[in-house]
Amino acid sequence: MKKILTISLALFFSANLLFAQSEKYTAAMTAALTDFDKSQNKEPVRDEWLALANRFERIASAEPKEWLPRYYAAYAYSSLAFMGNNVTEKDQLADKAEVLLKEAIAIAGENSELMVLDAQIHQVRLASDPQMRWQTEGPLFAASLAKAKTMDANNPRIYVLEGTSLLYTPEQFGGGKKAARPVLEKAMEKFATFKPQSPLHPSWGEGQAGYMLGEASK
Amino acid sequence: MKNLLLVLVLLQGTSLSAQTLLRGQVTDRQGRSLPGANVLLKGTYDGATTDTLGKFEFNTFEKDTATLLVSYVGYEPSEQRIFLQGKSHTFAIKLEEAASELNTVVITAGSFEASDEKRMTMLKPLDIVTTAGAAADITGVMQLLPGAQRVGEQAGLFVRGGSGQETKVVIDGMIVQNPFFSSLPDVQQRGRFNPFMFKGTAFSTGGYSAQYGQALSSVLLLNTTDQTSNNGLGVSLNMASAGLNYDVANEKQSLSVVGYYGNLKPLFALVKQNVEWTRAPEFTGSSITYRLKTSKTGLLKTYGMYSDSHLGMVTQAPLDDDTRTGIRLHNRNAFTTITYTDRFADGKWLLNSGFSYSHNRDETTFDGANFGGSDERIQGRAVLTRVFEKNNTLLFGTEIHRINLQTAYNDQSYALHDTYTAAFAEGEVYLSRKLAGRAGVRTEYSSLLNRFNLAPRLSFAYKTGEYSQVSLAAGQFYQNPDYRYLYLNTDLNFERADHLILNYQRIKDKRTFRIEGFYKNYAHLVREFTNLPYDANPYRFPWGQTTNGGHGYAQGFDVFWRDQKSIKNFDYWVTYSYVDTRRLFQQFEKLATPTFVSNHNASLITKRWFEKITTSASFTYSYTSGRPYYNPNNERFLSDRTPPVHNLSFSASKIMTIKRNFTVVYLAVDNILNTRNIFTYRYTPDGQTRYAVGPQSYRSFFVGMQIMLSKKAVVGKNDV
Repeated sequence: MKKILTISLALFFSANLLFAQSEKYTAAMTAALTDFDKSQNKEPVRDEWLALANRFERIASAEPKEWLPRYYAAYAYSSLAFMGNNVTEKDQLADKAEVLLKEAIAIAGENSELMVLDAQIHQVRLASDPQMRWQTEGPLFAASLAKAKTMDANNPRIYVLEGTSLLYTPEQFGGGKKAARPVLEKAMEKFATFKPQSPLHPSWGEGQAGYMLGEASK
Repeated sequence: MKNLLLVLVLLQGTSLSAQTLLRGQVTDRQGRSLPGANVLLKGTYDGATTDTLGKFEFNTFEKDTATLLVSYVGYEPSEQRIFLQGKSHTFAIKLEEAASELNTVVITAGSFEASDEKRMTMLKPLDIVTTAGAAADITGVMQLLPGAQRVGEQAGLFVRGGSGQETKVVIDGMIVQNPFFSSLPDVQQRGRFNPFMFKGTAFSTGGYSAQYGQALSSVLLLNTTDQTSNNGLGVSLNMASAGLNYDVANEKQSLSVVGYYGNLKPLFALVKQNVEWTRAPEFTGSSITYRLKTSKTGLLKTYGMYSDSHLGMVTQAPLDDDTRTGIRLHNRNAFTTITYTDRFADGKWLLNSGFSYSHNRDETTFDGANFGGSDERIQGRAVLTRVFEKNNTLLFGTEIHRINLQTAYNDQSYALHDTYTAAFAEGEVYLSRKLAGRAGVRTEYSSLLNRFNLAPRLSFAYKTGEYSQVSLAAGQFYQNPDYRYLYLNTDLNFERADHLILNYQRIKDKRTFRIEGFYKNYAHLVREFTNLPYDANPYRFPWGQTTNGGHGYAQGFDVFWRDQKSIKNFDYWVTYSYVDTRRLFQQFEKLATPTFVSNHNASLITKRWFEKITTSASFTYSYTSGRPYYNPNNERFLSDRTPPVHNLSFSASKIMTIKRNFTVVYLAVDNILNTRNIFTYRYTPDGQTRYAVGPQSYRSFFVGMQIMLSKKAVVGKNDV
């Protein structure tokens, strides 16, 4: 009897703890993602993104086996990198994003979303010094997107990044509105049928794609 | 039973309610608050972001010990163990700025880098191909840098009073035996290597690392790229040559193949030549590069090239008698390198190793007589680097070369064989972010000389301000005497140079200022005694008695200013170099300034990018003051001076797409003002008639295009 009691108590505690932990995780992520969505769909504000990056990093620190908080923290740092004051600062932020991305890959292995994020980090490095980084970062950006496509060609964020990059590439180099439009249209098509695996999984990008498509159609 | 569980649940609940309040402020070392820093208890959800004053406050249910982690991008994170017992805690946390290129000193004395990897460099690899007047030739651009000078009629890099032979060209650690196309008297030749092969270039003006040797003045370090940037076929067409290149790559390996054929006849029909060509230069060549990632960290690169060229001309100035002489050259050159680099133990150990073989044969006929020769160099090299914390490094390495030379003179053949070995060690220490030092030592042995040498090298750098620093370098440098002397006398010793360099630089917001002063002492230079008057023929065979009794000095300073910021899309740089040098060497009877030295060298380089027409344009003006020349009728040895050399040149390239194929069209005009430049004067052997030696042509132009038949090619304005 005593033995059974001990076992059931132990079971009760561990189940309780586990349940509490995962509930805590879901709650923290859901709350953070609400703010993430808000910040994602408007002009970027540095302080908001910094707070988001910190928040996801804290969740990551408590959840060593979850790749999503690392994914979002890395995303936040890559957004911050776009806003950096100079190349050194931008690089430091991109480096931080890369560290978190690598942690996420170590946990979950490579997947389409992480490859899109990898492309985004290359994109920010490229954007911070385009004159000098065309040759190195450009092909890496393209390679990461290509890899993302082989892993899940229906991921709409691949086409958001590709279309955005084309839109801001001069026509002489194969970019421009004409080239960007079909890609952004494809992104919108993919969004129409896209279902994230869970409410916590990446689902951003539709607003951005819509905006870019508007720009490309002008 | 039920009650017991209830009690347990309640107990669990109460235990959770015992919170501890943690608060404090995060600042940098100077006490400035850091808003947006992340404060957290490791492994928990508890934490906060600091507010605009750098302050934070949060509660935690954690008990006993925990780790408080504070992080902020750009700063070293801080971690501390804390004890939680329900009382509130207040923290004052100071973060240290992380080391970055902006706040850490770099050892720069004597070095001029072009690199994509490091940001704080004064040049970018692209600058090499976009500079007017350099003909997309690496050494052409290096000659426009501070410390270097232009010697129009000779190939090579002449640095701070040093001759062209005092500079070694090094590719991935391997000495290149024949970096320039073989030439005829008084004709300057291009470097053999395409600038697009390299990801980084470091041009040393002295005081260089113990890793390199056999150069009294300078080394030009070229590092090949680790991957191809484009896939597919490319075609290049210009007034002198046609070429094809093909690149293919996947994640693990890449292959690049290049082939070309050139003939200068059509160009010579359009651009008036000052030289009487008996055979316009004709050349064919090919190269192949294969790179393999052997593991996550290992990289194997192989490069092989072969070229074959013919040319023939009538000498510009008579060398032997008063009739002008016909000279012909057939050159065949092969060069291969294999390098392997890897990292071990989480990057704590780095290995750089390589093997190279080169073979060169010049079949030269001078007035029908055989004058040719061949050379061969086999070399192996390995360097191990231990990387410590804070970027401190210790490296050691060794290299071994086998050199076989053969030459013919007056139908007599001479041969030499040398086994040259070297070992070196060097440590780089950052005493703080502001102060760094590097100390190295190199020892060499030459079997031909049967002698050892020991060369210490030392440099320091100190950061004087947020954007500025001073740097100092000193060292000893040895080189085998010119092999021409060794054919007849192997009893000679190494020649030596001692360098002392002081450098100040300031880099802020794409504006760079650099000034460097130097003193160089030459010792044990080879002197030749013929008991005859000085013979100015640069291709004479030194038959006289030789000793190591020569010496000399060089001193001066140079200035560099570059501004890429003041005007949008406009970039300019200015260099000025002053050198005062005298030597007693070769057949000199007394201390004098050698004929290859000009005291003042200046250049202005401008580049402008026109976005709307996707065209970049560049103007270069260069000035070289008059050089000494030998006048047999002047009793004062080498006291005559040539007039100064001026050159204004232009280049432009336009990017476009032709049928969706990316294309670059370029135009270059050299010596726009058609200045009648004279490089040196020579006299007929009787001393009666003076001949001017100048460029092969005065004003000249060149047009060409490069097409990439690859839809995948992603190309920017800087690929031009």
